[in-house]
This record gives sequence, structure tokens and C-alpha cells, in this order.
Amino acid sequence: MSTAFRSCFVLSGFILAYFTYLLLGALVFSAIERPVEETLKSNLDSLKAEFLNLSCINATALEAFLEKVLKANKYGVSVLENGTLHTNWDLASSLFFANTMVTTVGYGHTTPLSDGGKAFSIVYALIGVPFTMLVLTACVQRLMHPLTYGPISMCQRRAGLQPRAASVVHFIVLLVLVVLFFFVVPALVFSTIEETWSFLDSFYFCFISLCTIGLGDFVPAEKPGQRLRALYKISVMVYLFVGLMVMFLVLRTFHKLADVHGWTAFFQLPSYEEEHEDKEPIVEREPDDESPEAEKASIKPQNPSSQVSYNSINR
Amino acid sequence: MRTARPIIRVPPLDTPFSLQCLLNHEIQRWIPRYCSHGDLKLDRGMIVQKRRRRDAKQRKDKKSSGLALKTADEEQQEEEISQSMAAPDLLDPKSATHNTKPRLSFSSKPIVYNSGDDCDTITTVMKWKTVVAIFLLVVLYLIIGATVFKALEQPQESTQKYLIVQEKINFLSRHACVNVSELEDLVKQVVLAIRAGVNPSGHPSNESSMWDLSSSFFFAGTVITTIGFGNVSPHTKGGRIFCIIYALLGIPLFGFLLAGVGDQLGTIFGKGIAKVEKMFVKWNVSQTKIRVTSTVLFILFGCLLFVALPALIFQHIEGWSALESIYFVVITLTTIGFGDFVAGGSEIEYLDYYKPIVWFWILVGLAYFAAVLSMIGDWLRVISKKTKEEVGEFRAHAAEWTANVSAEFKETRRRLSVEIYDKFQRAAYIKRKLSSELGQNPGQDMMPCKRTLSVNFTDELEKEGLPTLTKNGSLYLNGLTPDFPDRGEISIIEHLK
Repeated sequence: MSTAFRSCFVLSGFILAYFTYLLLGALVFSAIERPVEETLKSNLDSLKAEFLNLSCINATALEAFLEKVLKANKYGVSVLENGTLHTNWDLASSLFFANTMVTTVGYGHTTPLSDGGKAFSIVYALIGVPFTMLVLTACVQRLMHPLTYGPISMCQRRAGLQPRAASVVHFIVLLVLVVLFFFVVPALVFSTIEETWSFLDSFYFCFISLCTIGLGDFVPAEKPGQRLRALYKISVMVYLFVGLMVMFLVLRTFHKLADVHGWTAFFQLPSYEEEHEDKEPIVEREPDDESPEAEKASIKPQNPSSQVSYNSINR
Repeated sequence: MRTARPIIRVPPLDTPFSLQCLLNHEIQRWIPRYCSHGDLKLDRGMIVQKRRRRDAKQRKDKKSSGLALKTADEEQQEEEISQSMAAPDLLDPKSATHNTKPRLSFSSKPIVYNSGDDCDTITTVMKWKTVVAIFLLVVLYLIIGATVFKALEQPQESTQKYLIVQEKINFLSRHACVNVSELEDLVKQVVLAIRAGVNPSGHPSNESSMWDLSSSFFFAGTVITTIGFGNVSPHTKGGRIFCIIYALLGIPLFGFLLAGVGDQLGTIFGKGIAKVEKMFVKWNVSQTKIRVTSTVLFILFGCLLFVALPALIFQHIEGWSALESIYFVVITLTTIGFGDFVAGGSEIEYLDYYKPIVWFWILVGLAYFAAVLSMIGDWLRVISKKTKEEVGEFRAHAAEWTANVSAEFKETRRRLSVEIYDKFQRAAYIKRKLSSELGQNPGQDMMPCKRTLSVNFTDELEKEGLPTLTKNGSLYLNGLTPDFPDRGEISIIEHLK
């Protein structure tokens, strides 16, 4: 019973911590962003007033016009003069869109407009998201061998470190490499290609995309008149996919680290299953053994505790 | 080198023969062929060892390893098969227990060794094949999606474009005092404002901000759950930096929370299902049916609670259509989060507790969706495993067939070469006798290659007393054509030595 109590206790502790964290974030965001928003609003108001003063239109006509502009913008259609050159739904952009959907990044700079598109998105997402997660998990599992188990055991053998120390060292090195090659370097590339993005903006974009948050305030290849747009979009897609894989890898390495250090046992978290699949025999046990396993598998959907992060579907 | 303990389980008696072979301790030499796993060098050593041990042991040991009893024929066949699967030196009648080269593998799962870092290239190659196949499948899926989206959406987009351009022209023509550049400026500002989340239309004295406490709370929630609607986003440098750090810490935190909530959800639901299953068991329904019904119940009930009901509520409160509500629910709960529809994002007067309830629904719904998506992932995995197994079985059968055929071949060749040798010996003996009787005939060439041999695939020769030393044109040994008989004869003779 003590473990049940303990797990309840731990869970409520987490919930509480989570709420406080959210509250804290809300306060900080509010404090930082609100003044800027106020300035923008007042600028816009004065512009509108100026416009109305200068010309013969009345407020209602302007409002109507602005409504239409808003609506068009929601559809991703820009009413500016040079904004009508490219379409948002040519093959490369649609591929990009499908990719953002399936990796759950979801920028939202283009969204399906028609009813058919929305219905198709529902079905597409429901199948595509687990599919992608499966692929990414499979890839990461294979990558773990050369990138994690290999170096760790090499550390243990060559440098004679303990497993704990070796895993920590390896994790730090991995983190540094990942940040360097998947955040800093792409940020530099983006800041050079996109003229309006600073380095911080590009770094912010890389981070928001690779964590699959995908706010959508920065989206590459959206500038009108972009050269080689299709190629650019596809390379960004590849970058996102590989980056996501690497993030999963880092997450798994962290799991292993936590496991080695016994944190998972302490927090009663789902433990890191070490290559359970690789040890599976080709033929399972006798048929009467299959049913409890399969029952477990059927009850398993209700226990997503086998994955800590929602994004990693291990088994 | 690691000492590896094979995790091999004794198969039941009704599994197909090929799989049974695989798990037989005695026939571990099959393993390099059928499974891909680590250290082949280790394997070869083990194979030789096993063979020696097997030769030394009696058949009783084989029986006691828990397998189905095999008849003598089967074992003989296995022996031949194993010998034939050795290195393809097909002219060697004394086909030794050479190293077996793996010719086939099941893709993926290594049976045995914990050889994480001793992973042979063969393992990774085989496993990568599956991964590459799945990857190509995903790319195909993406391309299909892209074409469908393009076909569905591009017409709509063109219509919208046309409409707005028309609107602009109308506006300009109706209000002649506005010139194009002024309009462009205004519109640019408006677009920027929209991107910043500020709604430029409506009353200028709009009091509600996108960054008041509850909205910021909501935004923080979208960041941490990685939904990321994007209808509001930070615009200041400080805001962005803080967002990065905030997400770095918050996402794992939310992950733990989600795991915990999913656990609780699972236990609650599991208890209910257990009761239902008990009821079913009383009715003597089969196990699979129970499992299927419980999964279906889970999906239906969850859909009702987390998808249909919220969709209705959104439809009512936000004024969206049914499709748009469901679309919003799915897009949010899979954490894609486009942001074109956001609950609590419009200019409607919401009740005070609306946003917190929405957030709570997102939390629980995410857990539910995680369960559903992992279930779909499991199904996909099972399907892929089943296909792999079927493909593997098919390959195994093909391998068996090939092995049988080549074993037959080898046996025939062996018999043949033995026969040829015997006949040659007899011929030589007779010749010696004759020559000794007829007196020494020097210079008679005893080179066998000058002799002609006749080879028949039947047992005709055995019945004859003296071999007919004529060569018939068809000497087909291992694909040797009659064009190159000398080579064949020479090689035969070499082996006979």
C-alpha cells in the first residue's frame, strides 16, 4: 500500500509543481509582452485614425475592408501587392505542411481551408502521427547502439570510469554536440538566408520547431520572391525530421542516465526498457503464455506510463 | 569476448518445422542464417563446439532437450542440409563441417546476445534495412498527403486570392481619395498586427489583451504541452529567450505529469474493463473476443468523453461548425496545434471558468490520445512484425527448399564421385592385371585423363562387370558442360586423390 500512497503523493506533487510552473510562466510572459502589445495597438489605432482623417472613407467601410483582410490573412493569402506571387499549396509547400502535421509541429501559417481538407487532416493526423513516432522510435533505437551504448562502454573500458560517471560524461558531450550542430549551426544558416531574422530569432525558431511546439510566428521559406523555394522547404523538412530524431535520442539517453542513477526508481517513473525488443525470441512462448501478454498489451493502451514523454511511443 | 547466454525458448510441438529448427539447441548453426545478431565469430566457435558435442552425444540427449522426437530420416536430412549449407564447394565429396555462411536472415530481432557494443555490421545492416523500408514508407505517406492537400486546397486558395484582390480594387475605386501606397501601408501594419495577435478591426478601445494573466497562462500551457497554437507568440527578445528556457524545463515536467495522469486514467479504466470482462467470462466468450471488445469499448468511451462531448461544447460556445470542432479537437489533442481555431481565442465573452476547463480537458485528453496513438502504433508494429515474420517464413521455406535440392545434388555427386573412383580403381587394377599378364608394356600411359570414363546417373554400371570405358557426351557435374570435360575429369581425379 505504501507504494500506492507514494505514487499518489508523487503525482500530486507533480501536479502542484506543474501549476506553479504555469503560473510563474504566465506572470513572466504577461509582464514582458504586455507593454509591447500596448504599443502596437496604439500605433495601429493612430494609423487608422490618420487614414480616416486623410481620406473620404468612413469608419464602417474601413472596418469592413479590414475584416476582409483579416479573413484573407487567416487563409494565408496576403493582400499586399507583392504577396500574391507564390501559392501556399504547391507540391513542396504541401509536403512541408504534411510534414509539420505528421511530426506534430503544426506551425499554422497555412491551414486547410476547405471542409474536405479539414476532414482529411483529421484522418491523416490520426494515422500519420503514430506512424511517424514509430519510425522515429525505431530509428532512435538503432541509433542508440553506435551513439550511446558504444561510447559509454568505450568510456568504461578505455577510461575505466564507473557506469554512472561514464553515462554522465557521455550525456554532456552529446548535449553539447547536439546544441552545436542542431541549433547553433542551423540558426546561423537561417539568419543568413532569411534577411529579417536575427540570430536569436533563428535560434528561437530552431528550438520551437525541434520541440514540436511550432508556434508559427517564424516560418522559413515564406518570404515572397524566395529563390529555390521548393529546395529550401524540403531541406528544412529534412532538418526538422533529423533534428526530431536527435531530440528523441537525447531524451532516450537521458532516460538511460536516469535509470543508471536510479532516479526512475525513486520517482516511480516508468523505467527505461533496455532494448527489450532485441532480446525477443522469434517464436513466443506457448499459446497459453500469449494471452496474459496480449491482455497486458490490450490494457497497455490505458497505461501510457510506458512512455514518459508523450512523443515517444516505445512499445 | 563476451560469454553470451542465448535466450532460447523451447518451442511447443506444433510450431512449424523451420521455426522449431531455429530454436533447437542442437541446430544452432541455423541461427546465423535465420536471425541477425551479434558476433558471428562467436557463433562459429560455438557451432563447431556444438557439432563436436553432438557427435559425441547420443540421440538420447537430443530427445531430452525437449524437442519433438525426430525420426532418423529427419535427422539425416538435417545433417545433409547442414552439410550442404556449408561453404559452397560443391565438388567436395567430403564436405566437411565448414563454416556456414549466412545466406539469409530474418530481418531484425537478434535472439541471443547482449552484444550492444559488439554489434556486428551484419546486425546493423539487417536491422537498418527494416528501418529504411519504414522510412521510405513514411516518405511515401507524406507525398500522398501532399498531393491530396494540394488538390483539395489550392482551388480554395485561388478563390480567396481573387476575392480579396477584387475587394481591394473595389475599395480603391469607391474611395478615390485613397491612393495605393497609403492602402498598402495600412494593410502592412494590419498584417503585422494580426501576426502579433492584435485584432485591428473592432473598437479601438478594446480592453481585452492577449497577454492578461489567464491568456498568458493558456499560452504557457500551449508551450509546455508542445501544442503551440501560435495565435499569440512572444515578440520581444526577452520573451523569446524566456520562452526557450521555459520550454526546456517545462516539457519534461509535463511529460512526467502526463505519464502520471495516464496511469491514473489507465487504472480507472482498467477496473471498469475488468468488471466487464468478468461478466463476459461468465458468458464463456473467447479470450480474443474479450480483448477486442475491451479495446473497442475503450476507444468508444474515450471518444465520447474526450472528443464528442467537447466538440459539442465548442460548437455551442465558439460558434464553429461540427467539422471544425472535431478538427480542432483532433489537432489539439495530437499536439499539432495549428492555431487557426483556438478555444478561447475569439472575441466572445467567455465565462470565467471556461479557459481553465479547456486547459484541464487538454490535459486529460492528451493522456487519452497518447494511449490511442500508442495503440495505433502497436497495431502498426504488430502488422509490420507479422509481415516480417511471414516474409521470414517464406524465406525460410525457400531456403529449406534450396537446401534440400542442393543436398540432393551433393549427395548424388558424392555418390557419383565415389562410384567413379571405384570404377577407376577397378579399371586400374584390371589394367595392371592385364599388363602383368601380357607382359610389361612400358610407355603405357596411366594418366587417367587420357582414359575416358562413362558416367551414368543410374545404377546400370554397377550391374556390369567391366566398366564401359567410353565417354558419353553428357558429363554434367555441377554444371560442367561437355565442352570442358578435361577440366572436370582432372578435378574429379584431384579430389579422388
